[in-house]
Amino acid sequence: MELPIRLSKDSREPIYHQIENQLKALIAGGHLVAGTPLPSIRALSNDLEISIITTRRAYQDLEQQGFIRTTQGKGTFVAEIADEKRQQVKISSVYQTIENAVDTAIQYDYSLDQIKEIFLEIIDTYRKKGE
Amino acid sequence: MNSWLEITQLQKKIDDFHLGPINLQIEPGTITALVGNNGSGKSTLLKLIMNLANPDMGNIKVFNKFVYGQDESWKDKIAYQAQTPIGYNPYTGNQLKSLIAPLYPNWDDTLFVDMVHSFDIPLHKRYGKLSQGVQQKLNLALTIARNTPLLLLDEPTSFMDIPSKKRLVDILVDWMDRGDHAIIFAGHQAEDIMKLADYLTVLRNGTMVGTFEKEELTATYMHYWLKEPLGKMSIPGEISREIKQLVSNQPAATEQFFHENNVAWTDRKALDLDEIITYLLQEGKDGYINDGNDVIGS
Repeated sequence: MELPIRLSKDSREPIYHQIENQLKALIAGGHLVAGTPLPSIRALSNDLEISIITTRRAYQDLEQQGFIRTTQGKGTFVAEIADEKRQQVKISSVYQTIENAVDTAIQYDYSLDQIKEIFLEIIDTYRKKGE
Repeated sequence: MNSWLEITQLQKKIDDFHLGPINLQIEPGTITALVGNNGSGKSTLLKLIMNLANPDMGNIKVFNKFVYGQDESWKDKIAYQAQTPIGYNPYTGNQLKSLIAPLYPNWDDTLFVDMVHSFDIPLHKRYGKLSQGVQQKLNLALTIARNTPLLLLDEPTSFMDIPSKKRLVDILVDWMDRGDHAIIFAGHQAEDIMKLADYLTVLRNGTMVGTFEKEELTATYMHYWLKEPLGKMSIPGEISREIKQLVSNQPAATEQFFHENNVAWTDRKALDLDEIITYLLQEGKDGYINDGNDVIGS
């Protein structure tokens, strides 16, 4: 099966980390339920056009953190994860996304106060949309 | 380390061409691409591994046996596809199969039949009568189906169309997953199958530039777009520049420099693999290991 993973080679975030975070989000968000078989390291490497060294590293980290499990001879599957962990992933992925946005703004020479203003402006637009 | 192939300090002189010293190790489960310009020694290296040529210096071990030794048991564990096989022309695909298959105890006939169907290869026609693309497909079926642990392919897709190349990649991915296998292939830098490689071994006119893990390479090169034209300052990591652009092979050092010297940049983009290989193949430019002092301006 093909996973909806999108890698950015221009990003500062290492590729294995991008795979880890996106798989975690797919699992925590319930898009990949416990027991779902995952592609082999070789197959995923081919889909993403990366080396097995990178994919293996991501799978090993995810296994250590309990998101996936590998059964000898059968393959890799999504593991059962506790609600607490699910919450953790959600929180950290939202923080991560906002941090990335702040990084981008700093890159373009915005001051922290200006960034805060932009943020509040966007929040305001969303609030209006909701009304 | 549990290496299937171990090459140490290998050197070979042919007329005024000098290959080496080459050092290379192949581990199970990996795919390695040999990349280099024409005449860089890729085919010679593969022939040396197969003991089809004699090295002047250094050692080659396949499954822990010297390839030029008395014990030839390693030959069952390695399948090699030359660019142009010699002596195939008068035989049909069927005949070639019945000559080759018995030599390999692990011959996978299902895989052979699947490849013949998938590539639409006529087995009753003589090899010499087939187009170059179909010859290459038949060759691949006859080589991959040997199902040996180690597979060596010399420019395997040079005459194949794009859909066939894609199919071959899928076949190789499946094959890699069905047991302990490793592949080394020689290829052109812009080829589709480059994407399949875990490691790139780069040869420049017989000299080994290095063996690089793919993401290690792609993370090393960055293209920057700058707000203002660059002056005459020399910039760490710089390997090429235009008025408001710069390519670096030490992004961290480059960005540090930009920061310290108030050089504003608007965008950065990773390089494509074939662009990186182009830099690596440029004479005199050590694309990877770089002390930060050499500045190549334009």
